[in-house]
Amino acid sequence: MKTEALSTDPFPADGETIVTRWKEHLGRYTDWCTVWFCIMGAALVGVTVLAIVNIATTELADPAHLLKVAATSEVIGSILLTFGAGANAVLLLILFGTPLAYVLARSRPSRFKGVVESIVDIPLILPHTVAGLLVYLLFMRRGWLGAPLSDVGLAFEDAYPGTVIAMLFVASPFFVNTMREGFEKVPVHLENVARTLGAGTFTTFRTVTLPLSLRHMYSGAVLAWGRAIGEFAGVIMIAYYPFIISTLIYYSFTTDGIHTSRSIAFTVILVSFGVFYLLRRMTRYLGRYDDRV
Amino acid sequence: MIAFDRVSLALGSFSLNDVSLTIDRGDYYFIVGPSGAGKTVLLEAIAGLHRPERGRILLRGEEITALPPEKRGVALVYQDYSLFPNMTVADNVCYGLRVRGVHKGEARGEVAGLLERFGIDHLADRYPGTLSGGEQQRVALARAVAVKPDILLLDEPLSALDPVTQEKFIADLQRLHREDGLTIVQVSHSRREAHLLATRMAVIIDGTLVDEGRADAVLNAPGSREVASFIGIENILDGTVTANDGGHARVDVGGRTFEALTDAAAGEEVTLCIRADDVVLAVGDGRRSSARNTMAGTVVSVAENGPIAEVKVNSGVELTAVLTRRSVRDLSLVPGTPVTLSVKATAIHVIRSFS
Repeated sequence: MKTEALSTDPFPADGETIVTRWKEHLGRYTDWCTVWFCIMGAALVGVTVLAIVNIATTELADPAHLLKVAATSEVIGSILLTFGAGANAVLLLILFGTPLAYVLARSRPSRFKGVVESIVDIPLILPHTVAGLLVYLLFMRRGWLGAPLSDVGLAFEDAYPGTVIAMLFVASPFFVNTMREGFEKVPVHLENVARTLGAGTFTTFRTVTLPLSLRHMYSGAVLAWGRAIGEFAGVIMIAYYPFIISTLIYYSFTTDGIHTSRSIAFTVILVSFGVFYLLRRMTRYLGRYDDRV
Repeated sequence: MIAFDRVSLALGSFSLNDVSLTIDRGDYYFIVGPSGAGKTVLLEAIAGLHRPERGRILLRGEEITALPPEKRGVALVYQDYSLFPNMTVADNVCYGLRVRGVHKGEARGEVAGLLERFGIDHLADRYPGTLSGGEQQRVALARAVAVKPDILLLDEPLSALDPVTQEKFIADLQRLHREDGLTIVQVSHSRREAHLLATRMAVIIDGTLVDEGRADAVLNAPGSREVASFIGIENILDGTVTANDGGHARVDVGGRTFEALTDAAAGEEVTLCIRADDVVLAVGDGRRSSARNTMAGTVVSVAENGPIAEVKVNSGVELTAVLTRRSVRDLSLVPGTPVTLSVKATAIHVIRSFS
């Protein structure tokens, strides 16, 4: 009887208050598990939001300074360099990481496969400085790969290729693992059917498997790009110059102080947020058919 | 046409063991067996998707054991249809022609003809995800037929369809086999499908081929107890031959004597297979009959299923008979009704223990 009154009568009956009725309503209809999950999730998101609001409040209080810093050629050049190097690293990852991801997705479990998977994940577990040191030792002028490559004119130390290679190293697990997951979701039966219809292995990959994994390729690329442009310690080991945005902020912090470095940081936040928002929006329309597999 | 010569292969913990079979041109060949028996693996091995560890696969006498799938001239239709979700129906059907380099105009004409033939021309621009199961199955079949395969491989193509669509699809397959003269290999676990479609069949259990031959022979005269059980023979009785008079044997089954035709000698262990259709029930005496096996019994249960009923009778051994519901009604059969049960000696298939 009370339930009916609750659902139909908007006014409290005699002796009842709105508060007691709401308490009863919450007790009956609230899924407390979901509520607590939301509260805990909100706490996590809240920290990020708080940090952004904190910096935004300070920066937007002095827009003239913010615009002055954001418009300097060093900042614009550094942002372009960072985003460009990140994009180059991602292109290399697509070229080399896609075949690796496919092989890992389609090969049967074995000890060898486990070792390769662990190697792919190494950049995830290493401190960034260690990752940077590994890249430096391999690609420095006297390094195993750096020496022969500098002989043919490709230098890595304090050069753009060094930035790209450091970014590639730290971002590779993000791309390879996401891409592998995408390939694993494509049923092997589809490939089998394509093969019996006359397609060779590569044609099958090109016409069936890859189109159905495009969404994962895109997500992997965005993740890897995000990781790449955010790298600092790994990059400065081999290429302190030219300044990527993280290096520029650090340099500015140690030379000009918090005021300028904070303005650069806020500029980067705005640009990155805009770019990633656009990229995520684009994912919505990519590989729709993938959901039906 | 295609032959397996003692083929063995392992996939994880599963293995196909020493499989030998021959599929001739124009056969409608059924591979039947319980779930997990290795039917699909065998089908995929024919397609070249698994390479045998031992043995040879021959196509028209030539060894093709290591030949990749795209060069075997086979087309495969899976139970789950496996249509390419990123392509429209027309593109799916055209896929094989496209990857084989068939001229665009020619391929378009070919596809239009197939879409019309399979009654899916109105779906040409739709994506597979929006089609019903029956429609998807037709697209999958049209796509497979488009490449004019020497052998069409079907992996339980009817199992995911509703009964009405199943009937239509069976008619499609019969037409395809009859009119196109296609060699078809179909994996199934349905005896009914085998009855309707198969010309030859193989029974595979636990990765081992246990019976192979003409479909009617395998279905009516199985070579072993496990095959008889799998193909659904309702009455399987173990017994011992007590006497044999020129092929007319008397078999003791738990104290009951059955007469059957076999060369098994006295003392030999045998298994009797009796189809429920071949068991006749009568009320009253009914002992004067040409049927050699006539015995009194009591109805244990009556299970009606549509126009027929399955009646279990205890006559010392329990036997199942299939009757029409009208017969059950006319004879007033209920549990406890005394009946006389008869089976002709010629209706009993005898499996000898060493076979």
